[in-house]
Amino acid sequence: MNAHALRIEDVRSETGASIKLHNVTRSFGSLRVLEGIELSIEPGSFVAIVGQSGSGKSTLLRVIAGLDSEHGGSVLIEKNKAPAVARIMYQEPRLLPWATVIGNVAMGLGPEVESRTALTRARRALDAVGLGDRAADWPAILSGGQKQRVALARALVSKPDLLVLDEPLGALDALTRIGMQSLLEQVWRDEEFTALLVTHDVTEALTLADRIVLIEDGRIALDIDVPFARPRRRGAVQFGALEEQLLSTLLKTSPRTEEYVI
Amino acid sequence: MNTLALAHSKDKHSQRNNKRVSSVVVPGPFAPLKRFVPVLVPLVILSTWQAASSGGALSSTILPAPLDVARAFIRLLLSGELAENAAVSFLRAVSGLLLGGTIAFLLGLSNGLSRLSAQATDTTIQMIRNIPNLALIPLVILWFGIGEGAKLFLVSLGVFFPIYINTFHGIRTVDPQLLEMARSYGYRGFALFRRVILPGALPSIFVGLRYALGIMWLTLIVAETIAAQSGLGYMAMSAREFMQTDVVVLAILIYALLGKAADLLVRGFESLTLSWHPAYTKGVRP
Repeated sequence: MNAHALRIEDVRSETGASIKLHNVTRSFGSLRVLEGIELSIEPGSFVAIVGQSGSGKSTLLRVIAGLDSEHGGSVLIEKNKAPAVARIMYQEPRLLPWATVIGNVAMGLGPEVESRTALTRARRALDAVGLGDRAADWPAILSGGQKQRVALARALVSKPDLLVLDEPLGALDALTRIGMQSLLEQVWRDEEFTALLVTHDVTEALTLADRIVLIEDGRIALDIDVPFARPRRRGAVQFGALEEQLLSTLLKTSPRTEEYVI
Repeated sequence: MNTLALAHSKDKHSQRNNKRVSSVVVPGPFAPLKRFVPVLVPLVILSTWQAASSGGALSSTILPAPLDVARAFIRLLLSGELAENAAVSFLRAVSGLLLGGTIAFLLGLSNGLSRLSAQATDTTIQMIRNIPNLALIPLVILWFGIGEGAKLFLVSLGVFFPIYINTFHGIRTVDPQLLEMARSYGYRGFALFRRVILPGALPSIFVGLRYALGIMWLTLIVAETIAAQSGLGYMAMSAREFMQTDVVVLAILIYALLGKAADLLVRGFESLTLSWHPAYTKGVRP
């Protein structure tokens, strides 16, 4: 009985954090950016938050990641009823230029971890993103895509329960972006954390997410499941209907009135 | 010519190769001299100077011949006078730099890290900064006489401002995105300072240090020529009284060399600690 119960506990402890937002508000002066957000996210799922610039999606993300504490309402991020470890990946890599690649990754474990243990774990995380051979390099000589992979390794080295991604692929070129998307999907499947991706790219959201939450003027305008099997092909035909629904909400037009003229 | 002779014994392919390579590699008749171009101008100046002195066109009371300066160097070196005065000046410079630099660095740190500290002291410091430190010489002589205290005070004051300002500025301009990132990984207090703030401020601190070294020599020379009984500045001043222009010129040359040496030292430190910085790397891995 006891052993069996333990086993279930182990399995459950690998499936990421759950997120519960209740009536979350955030204002900057008289400007209300978030208005009573209600959102509940299953452990281990991959959720994309899409919205136009200024819709409040990045503010919501900062609130969830714990970078913004001046909000109203309640934010609960838990794993097995205990506080969960959340990590954030920014639009910029934000690597320390004065630390080597492996030093940057080891930094993800925080200041308390003993350095030899940290380096061993950092090396493993670097291997997981395919940059094991660049461990001793300075970040300055890496390409943009490689820098983001180092940032991903830094976020993953501490085995987070929740990974929050703030348009981390936004500044990458199209080809590097596709490579990063499949890398993200792969590490998410391997590590089984909850992933929350903010993006303005509807195709990216459809390729990666189980569920898409569309934010508009500080409210949730659309909340849909993405039922397609993985791995998904970019721009697959079945995306069509969902893509149109999302885009038309984003562009505030009904699906069939707008014709695209080139 | 060379190329053609070689080409006869080889096939067409290597002939073409030889030609292409030779056009780059085979040096012209003056190529070995190119290495000496940077020293050419000083050499011409020196020999003209020497010729003018030897020919009597340049009086030794105006400017001594280069060879006379060299002789003065050997004479003072053998008597031990030069080493003694240089050591005294060096000690004054270093102690002033250490005293003023340490206070400046600590104040820069505290004002860079704490708004309260900056509010309390920065305005005062900026006010004092606008006084030329050499304008204080009359007052300093009244306070300290012509003893070591006067030199220490003036040099410390001179190096204080560049180091203070650049430390303060360096810390204030550390990338806020990096700070947010480090805080989100649990870095606080000293760990944050050691891993992010100090390395981020270091390039700026070094700029302050190099600037301070220039001011350090300037202040010391002036202080030693006005009020001292030993040191290189004193040596030059007392030589002037006996019309020993060779010693005066020698002292000036030594100042130039010491300044250059100090600058090289800081550059060495820079390339050691800033090897991560794109401006300091030459494709070298850590």
